[in-house]
Amino acid sequence: MKDLDLGEFSGGCQCGAIRFHAKALRENPHVCYCRMCQKATGNLFAALVGVGHENLTWTRGKPAEFRSSEHVGRGFCPNCGTPLYYRYEGGKHISFGIGAFDEPHRIPLLYQMGLEGKHPSLFHLGDVEEVGTTEAAMGDEAGAIKLTNNQHPDHDTSEWTPRPSTV
Amino acid sequence: MSESWSGGCQCGAVRYRFSRKPTGAHICHCRMCQKAFGGFYAPLVGARLEYFEVTRGDIAIFSSSDLVERGFCRECGTPLTFAYKGGRGVSVSIGSLDHPEEFPPIDQHGVEGRLPFVNDLGHLPDLPTTEDEDPDTAKSIRLSNHQHPDYDTAEWPLRGQ
Repeated sequence: MKDLDLGEFSGGCQCGAIRFHAKALRENPHVCYCRMCQKATGNLFAALVGVGHENLTWTRGKPAEFRSSEHVGRGFCPNCGTPLYYRYEGGKHISFGIGAFDEPHRIPLLYQMGLEGKHPSLFHLGDVEEVGTTEAAMGDEAGAIKLTNNQHPDHDTSEWTPRPSTV
Repeated sequence: MSESWSGGCQCGAVRYRFSRKPTGAHICHCRMCQKAFGGFYAPLVGARLEYFEVTRGDIAIFSSSDLVERGFCRECGTPLTFAYKGGRGVSVSIGSLDHPEEFPPIDQHGVEGRLPFVNDLGHLPDLPTTEDEDPDTAKSIRLSNHQHPDYDTAEWPLRGQ
Protein backbone atom coordinates (compact mmCIF):
# COMPACT_ATOMS: atom_id res chain seq x y z
CA MET A 1 0.00 0.00 0.00
CA LYS A 2 1.25 3.48 -0.89
CA ASP A 3 1.79 6.38 1.51
CA LEU A 4 -0.16 9.62 1.24
CA ASP A 5 1.62 12.80 0.25
CA LEU A 6 0.39 14.76 3.27
CA GLY A 7 3.62 15.25 5.21
CA GLU A 8 4.45 14.29 8.78
CA PHE A 9 2.06 13.98 11.72
CA SER A 10 2.31 13.79 15.51
CA GLY A 11 -0.28 12.64 17.98
CA GLY A 12 -0.95 11.03 21.33
CA CYS A 13 -3.42 10.33 24.09
CA GLN A 14 -5.49 12.86 26.02
CA CYS A 15 -3.23 13.05 29.10
CA GLY A 16 0.00 13.17 27.08
CA ALA A 17 1.70 10.13 28.66
CA ILE A 18 1.93 8.59 25.18
CA ARG A 19 3.10 10.50 22.08
CA PHE A 20 3.96 9.26 18.61
CA HIS A 21 5.27 10.62 15.34
CA ALA A 22 4.52 9.45 11.80
CA LYS A 23 6.79 10.35 8.92
CA ALA A 24 3.97 9.40 6.53
CA LEU A 25 0.43 8.00 6.54
CA ARG A 26 -0.75 5.04 4.50
CA GLU A 27 -3.25 5.67 1.72
CA ASN A 28 -6.10 4.19 3.80
CA PRO A 29 -7.87 6.71 6.05
CA HIS A 30 -11.21 5.03 6.77
CA VAL A 31 -13.88 4.35 9.33
CA CYS A 32 -14.85 0.87 10.51
CA TYR A 33 -18.33 0.27 11.96
CA CYS A 34 -17.79 -3.33 13.07
CA ARG A 35 -18.96 -4.10 16.60
CA MET A 36 -15.41 -4.81 17.79
CA CYS A 37 -14.17 -1.38 16.69
CA GLN A 38 -17.29 0.21 18.22
CA LYS A 39 -16.71 -1.48 21.54
CA ALA A 40 -12.95 -0.89 21.66
CA THR A 41 -13.49 2.83 21.15
CA GLY A 42 -16.83 3.20 22.99
CA ASN A 43 -17.91 4.90 19.81
CA LEU A 44 -20.16 4.51 16.78
CA PHE A 45 -17.15 3.56 14.64
CA ALA A 46 -13.35 3.59 14.70
CA ALA A 47 -11.64 6.15 12.45
CA LEU A 48 -8.25 4.80 11.43
CA VAL A 49 -5.21 5.48 9.27
CA GLY A 50 -2.12 3.29 8.91
CA VAL A 51 1.47 4.22 9.71
CA GLY A 52 4.18 1.93 8.36
CA HIS A 53 6.49 0.51 11.01
CA GLU A 54 9.39 2.18 9.18
CA ASN A 55 7.69 5.56 9.55
CA LEU A 56 6.60 5.28 13.20
CA THR A 57 8.41 6.59 16.31
CA TRP A 58 7.05 6.41 19.86
CA THR A 59 8.32 9.73 21.19
CA ARG A 60 6.96 9.49 24.74
CA GLY A 61 5.83 6.51 26.78
CA LYS A 62 4.65 3.12 25.59
CA PRO A 63 0.99 2.15 25.07
CA ALA A 64 -0.74 -0.78 26.75
CA GLU A 65 -2.30 -3.35 24.43
CA PHE A 66 -5.46 -5.46 24.61
CA ARG A 67 -5.57 -8.52 22.37
CA SER A 68 -9.15 -8.33 21.10
CA SER A 69 -8.60 -11.61 19.26
CA GLU A 70 -5.64 -13.83 18.47
CA HIS A 71 -4.83 -11.68 15.45
CA VAL A 72 -5.49 -8.14 16.58
CA GLY A 73 -3.89 -5.93 19.24
CA ARG A 74 -5.54 -2.67 20.27
CA GLY A 75 -3.29 -0.08 21.93
CA PHE A 76 -4.41 2.46 24.50
CA CYS A 77 -2.97 4.76 27.15
CA PRO A 78 -2.85 3.02 30.54
CA ASN A 79 -3.14 6.39 32.34
CA CYS A 80 -6.09 8.02 30.55
CA GLY A 81 -7.53 5.25 28.35
CA THR A 82 -7.47 7.00 24.97
CA PRO A 83 -7.74 4.29 22.29
CA LEU A 84 -4.65 4.73 20.13
CA TYR A 85 -4.27 1.97 17.55
CA TYR A 86 -5.44 -1.22 15.83
CA ARG A 87 -2.65 -3.63 14.92
CA TYR A 88 -3.05 -6.82 12.86
CA GLU A 89 -0.45 -9.41 13.86
CA GLY A 90 2.28 -9.52 11.22
CA GLY A 91 0.93 -6.45 9.41
CA LYS A 92 3.17 -3.91 7.71
CA HIS A 93 1.57 -0.97 9.47
CA ILE A 94 -0.26 0.04 12.64
CA SER A 95 -3.57 1.87 12.22
CA PHE A 96 -3.95 4.87 14.52
CA GLY A 97 -7.15 6.55 15.68
CA ILE A 98 -7.47 9.67 13.56
CA GLY A 99 -8.80 11.70 16.52
CA ALA A 100 -5.56 10.98 18.40
CA PHE A 101 -3.51 12.95 15.87
CA ASP A 102 -2.80 16.61 16.62
CA GLU A 103 -4.30 17.62 13.26
CA PRO A 104 -7.13 15.20 12.47
CA HIS A 105 -8.68 17.73 10.05
CA ARG A 106 -5.71 17.17 7.74
CA ILE A 107 -6.63 13.50 7.22
CA PRO A 108 -9.49 13.13 4.71
CA LEU A 109 -11.38 9.82 4.68
CA LEU A 110 -11.32 7.51 1.67
CA TYR A 111 -13.73 4.69 2.51
CA GLN A 112 -15.92 3.01 5.15
CA MET A 113 -16.08 -0.64 6.16
CA GLY A 114 -17.69 -3.03 8.66
CA LEU A 115 -21.05 -1.89 7.27
CA GLU A 116 -22.91 -4.63 9.14
CA GLY A 117 -22.48 -2.50 12.28
CA LYS A 118 -23.49 0.88 10.87
CA HIS A 119 -26.33 2.59 12.74
CA PRO A 120 -29.06 4.19 10.63
CA SER A 121 -28.77 7.48 12.55
CA LEU A 122 -25.29 8.05 11.12
CA PHE A 123 -26.72 8.66 7.66
CA HIS A 124 -28.47 11.75 9.01
CA LEU A 125 -25.71 13.29 11.12
CA GLY A 126 -25.78 16.48 9.07
CA ASP A 127 -29.47 16.95 9.95
CA VAL A 128 -29.16 16.39 13.72
CA GLU A 129 -29.93 19.53 15.74
CA GLU A 130 -26.93 21.69 16.65
CA VAL A 131 -26.79 23.23 20.10
CA GLY A 132 -23.85 25.48 19.35
CA THR A 133 -20.19 25.71 20.16
CA THR A 134 -18.88 24.71 23.58
CA GLU A 135 -18.23 28.37 24.47
CA ALA A 136 -21.72 29.46 23.42
CA ALA A 137 -23.70 26.56 24.90
CA MET A 138 -21.91 26.33 28.25
CA GLY A 139 -19.85 29.48 28.70
CA ASP A 140 -19.20 29.20 32.45
CA GLU A 141 -18.07 25.58 32.34
CA ALA A 142 -16.01 26.15 29.20
CA GLY A 143 -14.06 28.91 30.93
CA ALA A 144 -13.39 26.81 34.01
CA ILE A 145 -12.40 23.81 31.91
CA LYS A 146 -9.98 25.91 29.90
CA LEU A 147 -8.30 27.17 33.07
CA THR A 148 -7.70 23.65 34.45
CA ASN A 149 -7.33 21.70 31.22
CA ASN A 150 -5.24 18.51 31.70
CA GLN A 151 -5.27 17.54 28.02
CA HIS A 152 -1.95 17.52 26.21
CA PRO A 153 -1.80 20.34 23.63
CA ASP A 154 -2.03 19.55 19.92
CA HIS A 155 1.70 19.83 19.29
CA ASP A 156 4.82 18.02 20.46
CA THR A 157 6.26 19.19 23.79
CA SER A 158 9.82 18.78 25.07
CA GLU A 159 8.55 18.15 28.62
CA TRP A 160 5.13 17.17 29.93
CA THR A 161 3.83 15.81 33.22
CA PRO A 162 0.62 13.82 32.71
CA ARG A 163 -2.11 14.20 35.32
CA PRO A 164 -2.26 10.80 37.11
CA SER A 165 -5.50 8.82 36.90
CA THR A 166 -7.32 7.26 39.86
CA VAL A 167 -9.76 4.43 40.43
CA MET B 1 -40.89 -6.73 34.80
CA SER B 2 -37.93 -4.50 35.54
CA GLU B 3 -36.01 -3.31 32.51
CA SER B 4 -32.33 -2.44 32.50
CA TRP B 5 -29.75 -1.16 30.04
CA SER B 6 -26.27 -2.64 30.38
CA GLY B 7 -22.90 -2.12 28.83
CA GLY B 8 -19.19 -2.33 29.47
CA CYS B 9 -15.71 -2.28 28.02
CA GLN B 10 -14.33 -4.45 25.23
CA CYS B 11 -12.51 -6.94 27.47
CA GLY B 12 -15.37 -7.26 30.00
CA ALA B 13 -13.39 -6.25 33.11
CA VAL B 14 -15.91 -3.44 33.65
CA ARG B 15 -19.68 -3.82 33.31
CA TYR B 16 -22.36 -1.28 34.22
CA ARG B 17 -26.14 -1.12 34.26
CA PHE B 18 -28.83 1.54 34.21
CA SER B 19 -32.13 0.80 35.96
CA ARG B 20 -33.76 3.53 33.87
CA LYS B 21 -33.27 4.14 30.18
CA PRO B 22 -30.56 6.79 29.70
CA THR B 23 -31.67 9.92 27.84
CA GLY B 24 -30.24 12.87 25.97
CA ALA B 25 -28.23 10.89 23.43
CA HIS B 26 -25.87 13.27 21.66
CA ILE B 27 -22.50 13.58 20.08
CA CYS B 28 -19.88 16.09 21.19
CA HIS B 29 -17.34 17.30 18.64
CA CYS B 30 -15.18 19.30 21.07
CA ARG B 31 -11.46 18.67 20.86
CA MET B 32 -11.35 17.23 24.39
CA CYS B 33 -13.95 14.59 23.53
CA GLN B 34 -12.17 13.83 20.26
CA LYS B 35 -8.89 13.30 22.04
CA ALA B 36 -10.34 11.27 24.94
CA PHE B 37 -11.97 8.91 22.43
CA GLY B 38 -9.20 9.04 19.80
CA GLY B 39 -12.11 9.53 17.42
CA PHE B 40 -14.10 12.11 15.49
CA TYR B 41 -16.44 12.84 18.44
CA ALA B 42 -17.81 11.38 21.66
CA PRO B 43 -21.30 9.81 21.52
CA LEU B 44 -22.86 10.07 24.99
CA VAL B 45 -26.13 9.29 26.76
CA GLY B 46 -26.81 9.58 30.48
CA ALA B 47 -28.97 9.31 33.55
CA ARG B 48 -28.94 10.41 37.17
CA LEU B 49 -26.44 8.60 39.39
CA GLU B 50 -29.11 6.72 41.34
CA TYR B 51 -30.05 4.83 38.17
CA PHE B 52 -26.43 3.83 37.40
CA GLU B 53 -24.51 0.92 38.89
CA VAL B 54 -21.09 -0.60 38.16
CA THR B 55 -21.76 -4.34 38.23
CA ARG B 56 -18.24 -5.65 37.58
CA GLY B 57 -14.78 -4.21 38.19
CA ASP B 58 -13.75 -0.61 38.68
CA ILE B 59 -13.80 2.34 36.34
CA ALA B 60 -10.45 4.19 36.19
CA ILE B 61 -10.78 7.97 36.14
CA PHE B 62 -8.80 10.61 34.27
CA SER B 63 -9.68 14.18 35.27
CA SER B 64 -9.47 15.94 31.94
CA SER B 65 -9.96 19.20 33.89
CA ASP B 66 -11.00 20.18 37.42
CA LEU B 67 -14.62 19.94 36.28
CA VAL B 68 -14.80 16.67 34.38
CA GLU B 69 -13.98 13.03 35.13
CA ARG B 70 -13.60 10.62 32.21
CA GLY B 71 -13.85 6.93 33.05
CA PHE B 72 -12.17 4.11 31.14
CA CYS B 73 -11.18 0.46 31.55
CA ARG B 74 -7.65 0.06 32.87
CA GLU B 75 -7.35 -3.38 31.21
CA CYS B 76 -8.42 -2.58 27.63
CA GLY B 77 -8.79 1.22 27.43
CA THR B 78 -12.42 1.48 26.28
CA PRO B 79 -13.74 4.99 27.09
CA LEU B 80 -16.75 4.46 29.34
CA THR B 81 -18.04 7.51 31.20
CA PHE B 82 -18.16 11.30 31.28
CA ALA B 83 -19.30 13.11 34.44
CA TYR B 84 -19.08 16.53 36.02
CA LYS B 85 -17.44 16.31 39.45
CA GLY B 86 -20.08 16.66 42.11
CA GLY B 87 -22.80 16.41 39.47
CA ARG B 88 -25.98 14.40 39.79
CA GLY B 89 -25.61 12.42 36.60
CA VAL B 90 -23.29 10.28 34.54
CA SER B 91 -23.06 9.76 30.80
CA VAL B 92 -21.72 6.64 29.13
CA SER B 93 -20.19 6.18 25.69
CA ILE B 94 -22.95 4.94 23.39
CA GLY B 95 -20.65 2.41 21.72
CA SER B 96 -20.01 0.72 25.08
CA LEU B 97 -23.72 -0.01 25.63
CA ASP B 98 -24.83 -3.51 24.69
CA HIS B 99 -27.41 -2.01 22.33
CA PRO B 100 -26.05 1.24 20.94
CA GLU B 101 -28.69 1.15 18.20
CA GLU B 102 -31.32 2.09 20.82
CA PHE B 103 -29.72 5.50 21.33
CA PRO B 104 -29.71 7.56 18.12
CA PRO B 105 -28.18 11.00 18.79
CA ILE B 106 -30.78 13.77 19.01
CA ASP B 107 -28.43 16.77 19.01
CA GLN B 108 -24.77 17.65 18.62
CA HIS B 109 -22.52 19.77 20.79
CA GLY B 110 -19.08 21.36 20.63
CA VAL B 111 -19.57 22.08 16.94
CA GLU B 112 -16.49 24.34 16.92
CA GLY B 113 -14.47 21.11 16.76
CA ARG B 114 -16.48 19.34 14.07
CA LEU B 115 -14.13 17.86 11.51
CA PRO B 116 -14.90 19.08 7.99
CA PHE B 117 -15.62 15.63 6.54
CA VAL B 118 -17.82 14.22 9.32
CA ASN B 119 -21.18 15.16 7.84
CA ASP B 120 -20.30 13.35 4.61
CA LEU B 121 -19.64 9.98 6.25
CA GLY B 122 -22.87 8.52 4.87
CA HIS B 123 -21.67 9.19 1.34
CA LEU B 124 -18.25 7.50 1.48
CA PRO B 125 -17.76 4.42 -0.72
CA ASP B 126 -18.90 1.30 1.15
CA LEU B 127 -16.61 -1.71 1.31
CA PRO B 128 -18.37 -5.06 1.86
CA THR B 129 -19.29 -6.20 5.35
CA THR B 130 -16.53 -7.62 7.54
CA GLU B 131 -17.61 -11.18 6.71
CA ASP B 132 -17.85 -10.55 2.97
CA GLU B 133 -14.65 -8.58 2.63
CA ASP B 134 -12.37 -11.23 4.10
CA PRO B 135 -14.28 -14.33 5.26
CA ASP B 136 -11.18 -16.24 6.40
CA THR B 137 -9.91 -13.46 8.63
CA ALA B 138 -13.40 -12.74 9.96
CA LYS B 139 -13.86 -16.38 10.87
CA SER B 140 -10.45 -16.58 12.50
CA ILE B 141 -11.21 -13.50 14.60
CA ARG B 142 -14.61 -14.89 15.54
CA LEU B 143 -13.01 -18.11 16.77
CA SER B 144 -10.56 -16.29 19.05
CA ASN B 145 -12.74 -13.29 19.94
CA HIS B 146 -11.85 -11.86 23.38
CA GLN B 147 -14.57 -9.21 23.37
CA HIS B 148 -17.23 -9.44 26.06
CA PRO B 149 -20.61 -10.33 24.50
CA ASP B 150 -23.42 -7.77 24.29
CA TYR B 151 -25.29 -9.05 27.35
CA ASP B 152 -24.58 -9.43 31.07
CA THR B 153 -22.67 -12.56 32.09
CA ALA B 154 -22.55 -14.26 35.49
CA GLU B 155 -18.85 -15.01 35.04
CA TRP B 156 -16.31 -13.78 32.56
CA PRO B 157 -12.63 -14.78 32.40
CA LEU B 158 -10.40 -11.90 31.28
CA ARG B 159 -8.29 -12.71 28.25
CA GLY B 160 -6.01 -10.86 25.91
CA GLN B 161 -4.38 -8.54 28.46
